[in-house]
Amino acid sequence: MIKNKKIKVVEPFALYKWAKNFKRIQDRFYNNQYKLRRIQQIEDFITLNNFNKIYHIEETWLDLELPATMFTDSANDADLILVTHQGYSRYPCEGIIEQIKKWTDQCPKLYLCLNRHYININNRKIDLTLPSDFQKAITSWLQQSLSNHHIVDLSRNYIDYGQNFTWSLPDRHYFIEKI
Amino acid sequence: MESSGPTLFYRKNMKKLIEHFTDYPMVDDVDTRIQYIRYRMGRLKHQLWLRNRKNKEEILIDTHDKFIIDNLQSGKTCIFGSAGYYLEDLIQDLTVVEQWPIVKTFYPNAQIIKDRSEIAKLNGRVFDNFVVVNNRGDIWCELFVVEEHISKYIQAMKPGCLFFYSFRDTQIINWNRLNTDHNNYFLNFAKHIEKKYSLNLIWHDIKFAEKNKDGSGDYNILENPDTTNGNIKYVFEYETKTKNIK
Repeated sequence: MIKNKKIKVVEPFALYKWAKNFKRIQDRFYNNQYKLRRIQQIEDFITLNNFNKIYHIEETWLDLELPATMFTDSANDADLILVTHQGYSRYPCEGIIEQIKKWTDQCPKLYLCLNRHYININNRKIDLTLPSDFQKAITSWLQQSLSNHHIVDLSRNYIDYGQNFTWSLPDRHYFIEKI
Repeated sequence: MESSGPTLFYRKNMKKLIEHFTDYPMVDDVDTRIQYIRYRMGRLKHQLWLRNRKNKEEILIDTHDKFIIDNLQSGKTCIFGSAGYYLEDLIQDLTVVEQWPIVKTFYPNAQIIKDRSEIAKLNGRVFDNFVVVNNRGDIWCELFVVEEHISKYIQAMKPGCLFFYSFRDTQIINWNRLNTDHNNYFLNFAKHIEKKYSLNLIWHDIKFAEKNKDGSGDYNILENPDTTNGNIKYVFEYETKTKNIK
């Protein structure tokens, strides 16, 4: 008892409140004057490749500047699945691979964004020969694990010192096509 | 001329593109509200302070707070970069040190510093306990930078000082998560610190997420344990090795 108050002890709980709103909060740091380059990259990729039916799996609101009519509610109706939800980066490695296969069974073209900082979250040994550079290793792991898929790494390589808006939009971008 | 469709739809109003925090100036130089939001986003325990100061019935803490409080030695305690003022009612002779000047506006007793070496310059080698809990300012760097931070903290520790240090693995950068055993990586770091700085590792808790399929065949998307306090936790004892951690 302190100052006539009881002390209540609880298990650590998530104090994050802003997952969905995170990008909009970071935009306010700049008075909403700028646009995240990676968002522009996604919009350009969709538009310039003439995708018209996008199934978007989203967590943090990205406010993509694309017509609402370009989005569909069903992965089976889509010509591109777009995954920006970083929760999938927190799957174990084998789970990410399984999930990619599920998506490309529904729609053979997938634009996948992964948050590098979550990869192999549960610390499992990967029985593959991988490059020592972590960014190249992520790409190599995907390529070696998805034999009947064509994988294009659309990411920029840089060391992320926590100043690249990674929690607004994950940093590693891949176009994955089932062949 | 006919519209070329969606391409024009978004290019008409295209903004300048940004990739990195420093590409353009933030408005927080002039906007204290933004400074406060940025501070809060990085100092999760500030939320407990907001809650506890208004609650007349109870003080809410979590089990890691209790672990620290139960193991503190008598004497002076420093909490750095961890919104430590939320423990003010529970820790006697507490010094709260932060790097964000905005803290002074709501907690005037805080010491505000720029460089960690100022902790010892301002206070001397006086602390019996030194606490850093998932300090956003200590992470987003390589482990060798964490080591540099620690080398400055010890300048303010008395011999025998207990040093509670915790952080998240996901915010330590520039290591290969696919070909490195995470547990060994962080335990070896602690052993390196132990040898180099006379900080004896007397307790540690390193945990990673368990991932099993649910009934639908899906995995959970949960983070590693304890995003608030960090899933990598150490307690060191400076120069001596006499304490038992409960």
